[in-house]
Amino acid sequence: MALIPAQPSANPGVKKDMEAVASLDRDTELMIRVRAGDDTSFALLLERHRGPVIHFLYRMVQNPSVSEELAQEVFLRVYRSRATYEPTAKFTTWLFRIATHLALNWVRDGKKEKGQESLDEQVVDGVDRQVRDRQPNIEQEMLQEVKMTEVRQAIEALPAKQRAAVLMHKYEELEYAQIARALSCSESAVKSLLFRAYESLRSRLAHMAG
Amino acid sequence: MNCPTKRNEDAEILLDYCAQTLSPLQTAEFDVHLKQCADCSRLVEAQKEVWGALEAWAPAPVSVNFDVRLYARIAEEQAAPAWQLWLRRIFQPALPYPLWKSAVPLIAACALLAVGLTVRMPEATHAVQPQLRADKVDIEQVEQALEDFDILTPPAQAPAGSM
Repeated sequence: MALIPAQPSANPGVKKDMEAVASLDRDTELMIRVRAGDDTSFALLLERHRGPVIHFLYRMVQNPSVSEELAQEVFLRVYRSRATYEPTAKFTTWLFRIATHLALNWVRDGKKEKGQESLDEQVVDGVDRQVRDRQPNIEQEMLQEVKMTEVRQAIEALPAKQRAAVLMHKYEELEYAQIARALSCSESAVKSLLFRAYESLRSRLAHMAG
Repeated sequence: MNCPTKRNEDAEILLDYCAQTLSPLQTAEFDVHLKQCADCSRLVEAQKEVWGALEAWAPAPVSVNFDVRLYARIAEEQAAPAWQLWLRRIFQPALPYPLWKSAVPLIAACALLAVGLTVRMPEATHAVQPQLRADKVDIEQVEQALEDFDILTPPAQAPAGSM
């Protein structure tokens, strides 16, 4: 599908919705066009959000292939539900709600144990490669990898909801209200989740200071 | 300014300060507070270290054929029979239906059933009443028949010398 800039829609229903969501974001506008049958707008949405969604899922499930598989499912569901899409909130809130739902389900179902390509294996491979390719920086690279492994393990050790909240807050820079909607809880619950999560991270990663 | 470590309601300011999402005015106010509060100062330092550690975690690059695979799945889905699409929409919705929304049809069905039963019940009681009446008549008939038998039966002879 070619990436062509979205054209203004001639559909009166779409125009009406456009006016209604004038205060909302560009993504919502694009999604309304997708609902009206404009596949180019879907391509634009994919272009804008492919990276953030995959990266969020990657940090959530810590498996590159699974994160891409889940991200495919996210965009497939967005496309499948285009006809019933209602612009009641920011598009990113809806998008991350779908992504969070799929990721939490995946974590809950314990699919992690089912023979996956683990990040630890990747790290070992990565270090081996580095040892061969860049001898002078071996120590620095290995130290960095060890640190990253610790960060990943600290994130992985968080309960799934806390993990999702931290990832949306830290990396996707979503507002508390958006995270609350994505996790189907109140804003105060999100703040509480974030405090507990950062508290755990502070205690787990305290030795990395300096 | 209230100390965020003392009041939970103000604690989010610590996160927002480290995330640099506070307004310039709030940031300046909190900077002043940090100079006076050792607890907050320690917490901010620790939080900044965590923040820095998390920042260094770069995500894996996205596969070059991600879009191709996605569009292939969309095309495959569009080519599928309509009933399959409906099934997918029902069993794989974009978002799960809230529990109370799922319960609405069930509650509605139960209410409808209850109303239906209530409407039918009076007919049922009417149907029973004639039967009750019939039972009552039958008993009366039996009693009447017994009385008739009594009349027809000659009185027993009084034993001799009883008077």
